[in-house]
Amino acid sequence: MSYRLLTLSALRNRLARQPRGAQQPNLAQHPAGKAALSLLKVVASAGLPLLLLWLAGCSNEPAPRDTHSPVSDNGEISSFFYSLLLYLDAAILAIVVAVWAYALVKFKKQAGDDTLPEQSHGNMKLEVIWTAIPTLIVVAITVPMLVGVFQMSKRHDPNQPVVEVDVTGKQWWWEFDYKSGSAAGLHTANELHLPVGTAVTLHMTSADVIHAWWVPRLGGKRDANPGRTYPMSFTAKTPGIYDGQCAELCGSSHALMGTKLIVHPLAGELEVDYKGQKVKLETYETWVREQQAPAKPPVAELEKGLKLFKERTCPSCHLIQGLEGTDIAARSATSGPNLTHVGSRMGIAANTLLNNPENLAKWISKPSAVKPGSKMPDGLVTPEDAKAIAAFLSSLK
Amino acid sequence: MSAELATAAGHDASHVDHGDHGHLSAENNFLGLPNIKLAMWAFLGSECMFFGSLIGTYFFYHGKSLAGKLPTEVFSITITSISTFLLLMSSMTMALAVDATRLKRLSSARAYILATAALGATFVGFQVYEFSEFVHEGLTLSTSLFGSTFFVMTGFHGAHVTVGVIWLTMLSIMISNGKLNKERSPITVESAGLYWHFVDIVWIVIFTFVYLLEFIK
Amino acid sequence: MASVADFAQAQAPVYHQERPAKSGLVDWLTTVDHKKIGILYGSAGLFWLLIGGLEALLFRLQLAKPDQDLFIGTQYNGLVTMHATTMVFLAVMPMIAGFSNYFVPLMIGARDVAFPRLNAFSWYTFLFGSLVINASVVFAHFPAGGWTGYAPLSTRAYGNDGMDFWWAGLVLLAISSMVAGVNFVVTILNMRAPGMTLMRVPVLAWMMLVIQFLLAFSFPPVAVGLIFLAFDRTFGSVFYEAAMGGDPHLWQHLFWLFGHPEVYVLILPSMGIVSEVLPVFARRPLFGQHAVIFSGVFIGFVGFGVWGHHMFTAGMGPIADAVFAATTAVIAIPTGVKIFNWLGTLWGGKLTFPVPMLFAISFIPMFTIGGLSGVMHANAPLDLQQHDSYFVVAHFHYVLVGGALQGLFSGIYFYFPKMTGKMMSEGLGKAHFWLFLIGMNLTFWPMHDLGNRGMPRRIYTYPADAGWNFDNLLGTAGVFFMAAGTLLMVYNIFNSMKNGKDSGRDPWDANTLEWMTDSPPPAHNFDFTPVVFSERPLFDHKHSEDLAIPVPHEAEQIHMPSYSWKPLVVASGALLVIIGLLLFHVAPMLWLISVAGALTVVVGIYQWVTEPV
Repeated sequence: MSYRLLTLSALRNRLARQPRGAQQPNLAQHPAGKAALSLLKVVASAGLPLLLLWLAGCSNEPAPRDTHSPVSDNGEISSFFYSLLLYLDAAILAIVVAVWAYALVKFKKQAGDDTLPEQSHGNMKLEVIWTAIPTLIVVAITVPMLVGVFQMSKRHDPNQPVVEVDVTGKQWWWEFDYKSGSAAGLHTANELHLPVGTAVTLHMTSADVIHAWWVPRLGGKRDANPGRTYPMSFTAKTPGIYDGQCAELCGSSHALMGTKLIVHPLAGELEVDYKGQKVKLETYETWVREQQAPAKPPVAELEKGLKLFKERTCPSCHLIQGLEGTDIAARSATSGPNLTHVGSRMGIAANTLLNNPENLAKWISKPSAVKPGSKMPDGLVTPEDAKAIAAFLSSLK
Repeated sequence: MSAELATAAGHDASHVDHGDHGHLSAENNFLGLPNIKLAMWAFLGSECMFFGSLIGTYFFYHGKSLAGKLPTEVFSITITSISTFLLLMSSMTMALAVDATRLKRLSSARAYILATAALGATFVGFQVYEFSEFVHEGLTLSTSLFGSTFFVMTGFHGAHVTVGVIWLTMLSIMISNGKLNKERSPITVESAGLYWHFVDIVWIVIFTFVYLLEFIK
Repeated sequence: MASVADFAQAQAPVYHQERPAKSGLVDWLTTVDHKKIGILYGSAGLFWLLIGGLEALLFRLQLAKPDQDLFIGTQYNGLVTMHATTMVFLAVMPMIAGFSNYFVPLMIGARDVAFPRLNAFSWYTFLFGSLVINASVVFAHFPAGGWTGYAPLSTRAYGNDGMDFWWAGLVLLAISSMVAGVNFVVTILNMRAPGMTLMRVPVLAWMMLVIQFLLAFSFPPVAVGLIFLAFDRTFGSVFYEAAMGGDPHLWQHLFWLFGHPEVYVLILPSMGIVSEVLPVFARRPLFGQHAVIFSGVFIGFVGFGVWGHHMFTAGMGPIADAVFAATTAVIAIPTGVKIFNWLGTLWGGKLTFPVPMLFAISFIPMFTIGGLSGVMHANAPLDLQQHDSYFVVAHFHYVLVGGALQGLFSGIYFYFPKMTGKMMSEGLGKAHFWLFLIGMNLTFWPMHDLGNRGMPRRIYTYPADAGWNFDNLLGTAGVFFMAAGTLLMVYNIFNSMKNGKDSGRDPWDANTLEWMTDSPPPAHNFDFTPVVFSERPLFDHKHSEDLAIPVPHEAEQIHMPSYSWKPLVVASGALLVIIGLLLFHVAPMLWLISVAGALTVVVGIYQWVTEPV
């Protein structure tokens, strides 16, 4: 190996020469990584009780957003380093605590013993050893880490099919604009639908303050900065429905800026488990076709809802494609979510409430009661009107 | 025995220095520098970080303005060269003032101090003129990133010059009414001088990198 | 054998003082005595510690169960922001300043700091800064942009009115810290007693030297960031305006260029306290003292080059991520060296376990846990998951509560006898220790698990089905243990001041100069200037004929600085300047307050430099 490997840009070039893809093994699957992990597990067994405590946490609640049940290549890399460092930390902690506890017991002053212990000022050999060993450990964990940094930031091979989505954080919901493939032009909110096993690049930006899009089971988060766009590339590996939310403090309803990631199979329907419920997932292409269709005009008993929707100035912020008088909203920093297929979403108010007519009516009749500081004003609709509008909106599957 | 050991450590136990604040400790200048001078150097180190952040931000945002005038459209090298020259001259008069205090010639020291303050005040006057010209041409704090970074950076430099002018004026008053005697004056005036030279150097950096480099293409 | 009793034989020095000291309230308002200023700082720190703890207690109540609405939205964000701002700037930092003020001059054998009036000025600017920040709740609302104040959430378009008080108060605190930094750098470098070479300076004073450098050099960048924020909020500049091309990363760089050294400002003094306490109760020298000192200095230096690890998710790009991740990993080495040397100090000693020692020994594993989870965050790919999650909250609370705060508690129990001449109650102290240790682990250990379960920080509510219920309930329960322990300590302090046993000069049979003088020390600190022959001057005085500190027969002639009103006057002027700027956006005419303030500063400084001392 030449010394060129030592420079970062050389390292990056070397890694970039092999574009990432689902078939290439990432760091987490590398045999050397696996070997290091098993070795550490043996050493760490000294600290097993602590380790078990750490791993098990304190409760046996289910963990639907477990950061260490990764469903993407990025998540696998993060999780690999978590395991590696967890065992390493446990081993170090076990040694420190063992020496500490032994010293406290063994060197306790005996009653009546007033003599001074040996007045040693230090030991050069020991100092060198316990500087050298941490240095070696630091080097040993830093080198694979650098590989991981570049692997995670590597862009996709342009010759492979790539799903590109512009993600815009807004106070307090997420806007998704599909830029490539069959879904190009699709414009949705809060629930991001992606195909399994396909390279994805999200382009993160914000319309107001800094947000961060984080679906723990997918992998790392990425900040959405106003005025700047930064990419996040990954490949989702397991179909399913995964919850997430904004991770960067973004104002009064930061806690209620949820999101969902729905990873669709490429072919055939699939039943997945979501928080103990069985949910059917259609294929990605089917979902895209459904979403691209314009909204169907409401049946007679729901027409009142549509009329109220238009009367109460809802269309000035919300788009419903395909109905007369509801597609006037200009896309802007302040516009609200696209409602063309709002009835097909699992949640409303940025994944804060389950999507059903009662919750919808509650949400639109007094938004600030659901989300403090909500940009949708209170008092636009009476509770009676809200029910009619909610019934209409729920029909927009 | 003890005196021997202390001397071996490089310090004569019987030596007591009565310089500035020497009354507080038996050994007030362990490093051989008076407290006030050491403090001045530490303070100037802190100031380096301050101006480093201001100038760094200017370059971080350089060329990223989305609207408004460009630097080359508003800068007048002629006028700024004159004010820069005046500020450089003030460093010379400052050095002469420090020299005069060492020679215990307080009245000529006062004359040089006042000359320095006058040159500094003229520089500030030029800056006020420059700012008002820029505003006239449509560049304000709110116009663009250039406007914000430029005015705040040079404004804080101007504020430092103003503080220096007030400081020097105080020193000349203190010489006049006898509050600053011949023994205390060298270290006191030298400390003010350190600050003054530092502020000058910051301006040279700003003038070179912010003004002149703009025109070198 | 010589003993501390020898020093009682010395004659009190003869004072030359311009104006005799005042008494009562006027004395406390005008004092320039580093010990009194230290007590003022320490008391303020304890007071704000209780307030900051109360804020934490309130928002932990909100988080005890899912879907609660005790404090929602900006109320909750305000509590979180003020909890962190209070704990970092108004509790831990002044407690550190208290120890630094009281003990650094004593440890190095000086009679005061280099610039006693400047020291009083630092205290007043700190006091005014802390009051300005908290005045937000009286005149407006608590600032709600997070203690990190990320722009643009902190700008006028998105941030609430409390953020004005936040920047204004922080600017005053920045001035206070920079001035104190310069003052103490000069004090420690220049005012040491004869024979006290740098390598004989006690580790606590060394760590104080390092942090004073950090304060002097790291506060300017955040001061600049705050000035930009103030200009954006008040005068319409566009530094953080994305629509004008402003970059949200700018604030983050300026803030963390300060913020990371600040973390070491918070922890290094406690490491210093532990390095003083362990040798005393192990009856042997600090193992590898030079290694401990150098690793502290190294941490301080490298601390300026790691700020980007707070921004791995911000999108700096892989090169910057890699560089910052690597430099951060390096910090683990000197930290490890310190931990091993503390273990080396215990090993082979003859250990006793009074309260200060209990806190010092529990510091070791608690800090190690925080340090080890820090090693995880240094790993950028892993940090993408842990950043802004409860895992990070767990990490920095183990470092700052298990580390910094436990170190300071150890210092309080250790140094209380010197400051008051009375012993604190051991029984109450032990109760405090156990309550606090249990509460801390009950609150912060489950947070690791919460982070692993994907809970982001700073959220005021969470759904019942996310799997976060049990851990949060434990966390809330733990706070009550910590609160009970801390209140016991406060009671112990007040009670012991009245009813404590007399401590004498050297109750712990300690090693360093501060224990050779009276408890509490007289205004002039030492009856005579001690000559230093070793790293442990007092220990060697007691145990070695050769190294006994000679007691002179004649009284020394000393000049003591006089009290002064001027620091209060100048600090009040600075306060007026800030208040004028703070109110400018309300009514532009109010800038005249700033003008009045500036005049007060100028006149005050002139009187300051011309008044006889």
